[in-house]
This record gives sequence, C-alpha cells and structure tokens, in this order.
Amino acid sequence: MNGHGALAAEDAAGETVAAVALAQTISADEIALYDRQIRLWGVQAQERIRSANILLVSLRALGAEIAKNLILNGIGSLTIVDSEPTTEDDLGAQYFLREGDRAVAASPRLQELNPRVAVRVDPTDIRTRDQNFYHPYDIVIACDHDFDTLSIINAACRIAQRPFYAAAIHGFYGFIFADLISHDYIITRERSNVVTTVRPETPTRSVLAVSTKKENGKNIEMVTKREIYSPLLLANTSPLPPEYLKTARKRRTVTPLLPCLRALWDFQRTYSRLPTHVHADIATFTTLATHKNAELQLEKLPSEFLRSFLQNLGSEIVPVAAFVGGRLAEDVINVLGKREQPLQNFAFFDGDGFVGQIYALHPIFPETDGNANGESDGIGGTVSVMVL
Amino acid sequence: MQRRDRGIAQSLGLPLTKCVKESRVLLVGAGGIGCEVLKNLVCSGFGSLPGVYGAERRASIDGVEHVPVSSKKPGIVVVDLDTIDLSNLNRQFLFRKQHIKKPKAFVAKETASQFNPSVNIEAHHASIFDSQYDVEFFESFDLVFNALDNLAARRHVNRMCLAANVPLVESGTTGFNGQVQAIKKGVTECYDCNPKPVQKSFPICTIRSTPSQPIHCIVWAKSYLLPELFGTSEEESADVAVTEGDNAEEVAKLKEEAEALKNIRLMMGKSEFAQHVFDKVFHDDIERLRSMTEMWQSRRPPQSLSFDGLKADAEDDLVKRGQALSIQDQAVWDVKDDLAVFAYSVDVLSNRCQAGETVIEFDKDDKDTLDFVAAAANIRSHVFGIPLHSEWEIKQMAGNIIPAIATSNALTASLCVMEGFKIMRSQIGSSTETLGGSKMVFLNSRSTERLITTQSLAAPVPECPVCSPIYAKLALPGDGGEPILQDLVDMLREKVGYEEFSITTEAGIIYDPDLEDNLEKPMKDYITHGNKFITVTDEGDEGKVDLVLSTIVRSEAQSGLQLLPDNITLPLKPKKAVPDTNGHAAGTPEPVVASAANSSAGAKRKREAEDEVESAKKRAKAGKQEVHVVDDDGAILLDD
Repeated sequence: MNGHGALAAEDAAGETVAAVALAQTISADEIALYDRQIRLWGVQAQERIRSANILLVSLRALGAEIAKNLILNGIGSLTIVDSEPTTEDDLGAQYFLREGDRAVAASPRLQELNPRVAVRVDPTDIRTRDQNFYHPYDIVIACDHDFDTLSIINAACRIAQRPFYAAAIHGFYGFIFADLISHDYIITRERSNVVTTVRPETPTRSVLAVSTKKENGKNIEMVTKREIYSPLLLANTSPLPPEYLKTARKRRTVTPLLPCLRALWDFQRTYSRLPTHVHADIATFTTLATHKNAELQLEKLPSEFLRSFLQNLGSEIVPVAAFVGGRLAEDVINVLGKREQPLQNFAFFDGDGFVGQIYALHPIFPETDGNANGESDGIGGTVSVMVL
Repeated sequence: MQRRDRGIAQSLGLPLTKCVKESRVLLVGAGGIGCEVLKNLVCSGFGSLPGVYGAERRASIDGVEHVPVSSKKPGIVVVDLDTIDLSNLNRQFLFRKQHIKKPKAFVAKETASQFNPSVNIEAHHASIFDSQYDVEFFESFDLVFNALDNLAARRHVNRMCLAANVPLVESGTTGFNGQVQAIKKGVTECYDCNPKPVQKSFPICTIRSTPSQPIHCIVWAKSYLLPELFGTSEEESADVAVTEGDNAEEVAKLKEEAEALKNIRLMMGKSEFAQHVFDKVFHDDIERLRSMTEMWQSRRPPQSLSFDGLKADAEDDLVKRGQALSIQDQAVWDVKDDLAVFAYSVDVLSNRCQAGETVIEFDKDDKDTLDFVAAAANIRSHVFGIPLHSEWEIKQMAGNIIPAIATSNALTASLCVMEGFKIMRSQIGSSTETLGGSKMVFLNSRSTERLITTQSLAAPVPECPVCSPIYAKLALPGDGGEPILQDLVDMLREKVGYEEFSITTEAGIIYDPDLEDNLEKPMKDYITHGNKFITVTDEGDEGKVDLVLSTIVRSEAQSGLQLLPDNITLPLKPKKAVPDTNGHAAGTPEPVVASAANSSAGAKRKREAEDEVESAKKRAKAGKQEVHVVDDDGAILLDD
C-alpha cells in the first residue's frame, strides 16, 4: 500500500480518498463492528485496510462479490468504474442490480452494506483513462475485460506503481491474476527447529529479514518476505514451473483451464468476441487450445473439458462468482494487512471439478540446465526472474 | 426460461436447472455461512418454480413404499434461533445496523427475497430442536444445508437427515479456514462417523491453586469467583473438573474456601463488600496456598495483595476510576487499574443483585460481568506472576470467540451450493459418481499451490453408532389413547421379530430383559419432544443392527402406536475385525486443543497423502485411513 501524499487533489476521486485518509484513527465503534476480523489480523492491519482506496473495474457478478467483501471488511473507499447499461441477463446473477447503468444502479445497495466506506461510481469507459487515473488508488482490480484491455490497465498500473489484479468467470470456471510488482510482508509465527535464514525461497520470493521475540513463553519469529511479480503480458506467455512438468502424472494434474484461458484470449483478440457453438468457432478454438496446451508441454487436452469450457463461456453463476470474488478480496485484504503470503500469480478455479490451483507463471530463464527442480527451498541462485 | 436464468441454464443444463428450480431445500442457520448460502441459493433459482414431480421422485425410500404427507412444495426454508448483533455485520451481509436485535431468519428472508422476484422463502425464528421439526418435516426436503455454529445442533441435524434419508451439506469456518462435507445415509460417512473433540476442561487444582497461564486465571474468575458471588455455585462448571491428578486433600480444602466465600456474599450491598472479597481471595486464600511449601518447590510462589496496600496511593473514588477505565478495553491495565475496575464491577453487579437479579451468569456481551472477569483474572495473574491482558483479549478467551471473516464465509458457502448442484445431479440420475462427484472440500488460504484441497467422500464407518442403525418412524397419537411402554415392547416383538432387546432414549435405558419396571408408564413420559430418538438394541446372541425410531406426534386421531414402515427386517451386525475404540474408556478424556491450528495441519496431511498415492484404488484406501487420523482434531469448525 502506498502513502497518501501523492493524491491528485484536483480529481474528484482524489478528493474523496484524501478525505478518507484524513479521518482519525480507528474508533471504539469500529473495533466493535470489526471485532471478529480484528481478532484474526489485529488493529494495525485493520487500520491499513480502513485507509485503503481501491479501484474496481467492471461490476458484474464477479465485481459485485469483490465489492461486497471489500466493503464489509471496511476499506477506506471503493471506486467502481463501469460504463455498461444493465441488461436483463445481468439481473439473474447480479443481485445488487436494478434497472439502469450498472455501477450507478448497484451502488446504493453496496453502500448500505457499510456506511463507513466511501462508495463512488465512475460510469466512464476505462479504456479512455491514462496512468494518472490509477495513481490515487492503493490497489486496482479489473474484472471481465478482454486480454488487451487488462494488459493496458496492467501497464498503466505498472507506470503508476500500483498493484493490479485481474479476474473473470465463465460459468463454473474462473481465474485470478496478480501483479503486485513487488510486495513486502511480515509472517509472524512460532519458531521451529529449522532456522529461518535470509535467502531466496523460490524464484520470486525471498526472506529479507528475520527478528524474534518471546511471547507467553513461546519463541516467535517475524519473517519479512518479498514477492516479485511479472505483468500479465509476460505471465501469459510464460512456461509452467519445471516441477509441474517432471512426470506425466504431474503434467496431468495441471488444470486444462490454463491452456483454455490462453486460447480464449487469443480468440478474443482475433475476433473481438467469445467463441459461439458454430462449428467454425469450435474448430478454431480447439486448434488454439491444443496449440497452447502443447506450448505448455502438457499431456493431451481432454475433449470433455474443452466441450464443457465452451459451454460455460459468457455465463455467470453466483456461487462461482462468490468463490473467485471472495478469494480475490481475501488476497486484497491480506496484501493491505501485509501479514500473509499473497497470491503468486495465477489462480484457476473449476467449480465443476472442484479444482483450485495456483501457478507462478513468470518468464524465467534457468542459468544452469536441469538444476531448477522447483523444490521450494533449494533453488536459490540458480534462476533469475525478469522483472520489468 | 426467463432471461435472468440464462447463466444457470447455460452452465447447469436444462434438466438440472429444472430440478434446482423445483427443489425444496432447508437451510439451518442464517449467520455467517447461512447468509451467503441463502444468497447463492436464491440467485441460482433454488425452489423458484412450482413443481409437479417432486412427490414421485421420493416415492421410494430404502425400497419401502412411502407416501409423502404432502407433495413437495418448491422453496427455501430458513430456520434460525438467533437475533442480529453488531459484531455480525462485518460478514453477515443481509443485515444492517437498523436490524440489530431483530431475528436473523426474518431479516435474511426480507433482504434475500429482493434478489430474485420468483423465489419462495419461508423463515422460521426457532430452534431446530423444536418438536415441529420432526422427521416428516425433514422428509419434505430434497436437500438440507447446515450453517451452524455449534456441535449439538450439527449432530442433531445430521441425525434427522439420516432418519429422513435426505442428503445434508455440512459446513464450518474458523478464521481463514473452512470446510464442506456432503453426507447421505448409507452412501457416505455421516457427521458422527468420526469422534469429535470434547470441550476442554482444566483440573480443579490448576484453576484454584496452581495457575500458570492467563486462561487458568480467566476460568477461575469466570467459573468460580463470579458464580460464587453473583450466581449459583451449586453446579460445577464444565470448564473445571476434578481429575486423577488432583490432590484429594487439596480438593477438600478448596471446598472449605468456597464455603467461606459464601459467608462474605452475605455482605453484598455494604460499602466494604469489594474489599472483603478482595482480601479473602487475593490475600487470605493466597497466603494459605503460599504456606504449602511443597507446592512451590518447582514453581514461583504467589505474592498476596491487600486491598488497602494496593489502594494506598490511588485516587479516592476507586469506583469512578474503574468506570472510566472499563471503556479502555484495548489497553492492558496495571494491577492498580485492575483493582479500580474490580471495585467498580463488584459495585455494579451488587446493585443488580440488590435490584432483584437473583442469578448473574457470565456472558461475554454483558459488559459488567466481563469487567469483573477481566479485572479479577488480571489481579490473579499478577499474584501468580502471569502476564496481564487487555479486556478485549480476555473477552476472546473467556467467551470462546472464534475469529470470523466475510471472505471465508463466502468461499465456504459457495462450495456448499456447488456441492448442492452435484447432489441434485445425482438425484436426477445424470451422474454415476458418489453423490454426483461431491467431495470433502477444505479452503487452503495459506497454500502457495492450491485454493482448495479435496478428498473423496469415505464410505460410512460400519460401527458408527449414529448412521449404522436402521431408521424407522414411530407415530404416537396426539391425543386420545395412551400407549404405554408395554405397547411398544409388544409391537417390536411382533413387527420386528425381537426376542431379547433393550430400549434406550436420550436419557438412558428404559427397558431391557432385566428391567421391566417401566412397562406400565405412558410412552409420553419418554417422548417430551416429537423429534426425540428411541434406540432399540438386540440383546440376542446373533445381534441384529440397532433400530432407531424417530418419533412423530400425530395431530389427527390414531389408535395406539404405529410403526412406519409396518414391518421391518433387520440385518445382522457386521463382524468386527478390531475391538471398538469408540466406546467410553474408563480414564479421563484427553483434553483437546483448539481446532483451528490442527485443521490446517490436517488438511496438509490429507493433501500430501493424496499427492503420494497413484491409483484411484489406493487413493480411496488411503483417504479412508487418513480420516481417522485427522478428523478427531479438525472436524469441528465453528462459525459464529
């Protein structure tokens, strides 16, 4: 999370967030309201959460779940950008909606969830915004958009040095992507027999510092860690970490959602729409997915999955939105609180097969062949990560 | 199909969508998980259409001809006993500040009904233990969701669903953790197939004589001092127990101490009451303990305090100062502050007693009792050289508060409803997997590799005392006709073919071959609520499986008892390969540690086990073995 000194004060959003930032520290009323969550993450994390300004792009079923959770948790402000009008299709899965412009129509009911949070609506097209737009926000979340739009927002966030999340659902399937650029956090835990040392833990994560204290007769250690990230543009072409490719069995455990999502993004880029059920689309999509699958060095793509994926495209169902949106919101809260391991960096959810997997997809270039075996603790120094 | 159903119809397919819309589901609990489950159900169209074929589908249960009382009416029924509290609002998103103190079930219905105009929600502000929720009530549903916060209600609904042969989706969360389990009689393990942790209790001598942790002092203040002064001391608290390790002589001495305190209680209302109590428990009793030198050979001896000594340089109006301090619940008071809060809370509680409140019990949301417990616990901690804590921290320990966040509830509830889709898919026969591919699912919030961990549903444990019996119904006449126990015994001989057998209610054995004293007693004496269970055990040599009768009280006229189905053939009990370890062993039960930490460790063990195992056959076997290891520490997850 970033300081509040750099707000664009002439901007209305900037004014709102500056006012929120000026509010005094957490009150007894708030402690009573947030009692059950402060007992999990402490007052300090809650203070960081309450002063955070979050930007949410697109308020459909998934966005509504993210908004709901962040507002309930007591962030400082939520700004929702959505220029689309409500359609009758939307009404089924988007329970905060009524007739009218989507974000405008939903905001009164979102605001009701927690009057302490400044809920603001910006019914403009996100594609008209430059990097200055993102500056007042501590975290930017973009849902539903196609790959190019997501990449443009991601790039603007990189320039503005703002953490970025992307997510979407298609029926039973969904993904979450995180580009936090570089994120430091402190894990507090009871000390084990194994000494924690300052060193890289994975190609993207390293231990920066370790300190200890005694509490109630227990040895507690506070481990400062850093995760570094890649932008969506690079993550989307990155290979799977080598530990997933070692054996055929390992390769089969990788969800086919990964190649299918990459194929979908390619399809959308070419045709500016989702594949339909006409034969030509199915054939094109199958070719794309098979190609992505081969590129990832995976086993044969199950045709049954492919069929189900295509069947679910463009559909919104609330339980899946609740899972993907809930998990994304939890990660945002954890990143604000700086006390938990954040998502690194691609999560896939399959609510039909009950599969939820996380892969660290980065353009990684092994320096020595065959040595990057992905044991979580043993590969420091043998690989380097390209960070833009 | 309306356009607003497009997403559901597209992803579920038409047959399942139809089934979902015609379904009748029960949601028990409208709290953290319940609010989210209700939203997911409403927005997925559960129970949103009048149905026609609901009755046909359930025409046969266990191959027995069964005519439902009424054909199933599509809808969602929500049952919750609770009212809304401020601390619910950070996650129970159907409630607002203006709803505080209103019944959760009603407000949940009101808010969620706006999400879908065609939904049909029925809200009950009631306890699921109530007699109206008998086995026939449960039989009226296609699916039951548990969204509960306590073990007793979970076990009860588990049993009712087994008796009614209705699938149950069980769930729970604590902090970042959560889990979901699908249960169906004869198909999967039930909630009670694996032993659950018992409530932790402390040896009496640890609490009364040799505390070493803050929790010992908190339990002392909450379960000993507060009841002795302001409540009823007759009943020993479940938190404290006399165990084998306790010294009998010391226990007797502690009884005397408590008697002396009762005499001081008579001074309540007088200005020096607080001082007398203080000097008794923090000076005289401590001095007595300190004089037992052998007790302090390996421990730091306690340092007694005196009221006047501690008050010496404090301000004049101790009570006023205590009142001001009691608002600062985040700060750690020093021992002089604690004295002030102690004096203040004794004053307030005494006034309440004088005003007619005969019994004041500890309630974490009753600030006066919390002030008293926090101050007294801290003073005792000071005496024994134990670190002091803020009132806010003490509230958590004294009130067993479990951290609860919006996201874990949302994630867990979403998985509940996805399990629901799977179970319904198996009900319409479009899946050959167990319960449509339902799984045991755990949230994995701290993993860098997985969002969730799954485990195949295990088969029922053959010796499980809850799900291995055959379930049947016993109908009693509402009024007119007074069947007696003899009538039941006769009926069981005739209809089930018993020779030697025993009958047990939840209160104990009422009949066996050597116990015939009760035969003339009316059945009503044993069935105080319609949903109580009667267990019949075969005492013959061969041993038939147990028969559990769920009782229904008929409102219409009926002569005598009626068994449903009318004739029952019981199979023999499966041969046991290993001695039963589930029975009650003679020794003291192992104290069980808090569930949160262990459940994540359990999930990790499960995940590793799954990773290692190659073939499906091996996996099933290993999964089953794992269950015995992990479920006794991880299965109880509470959702406040």
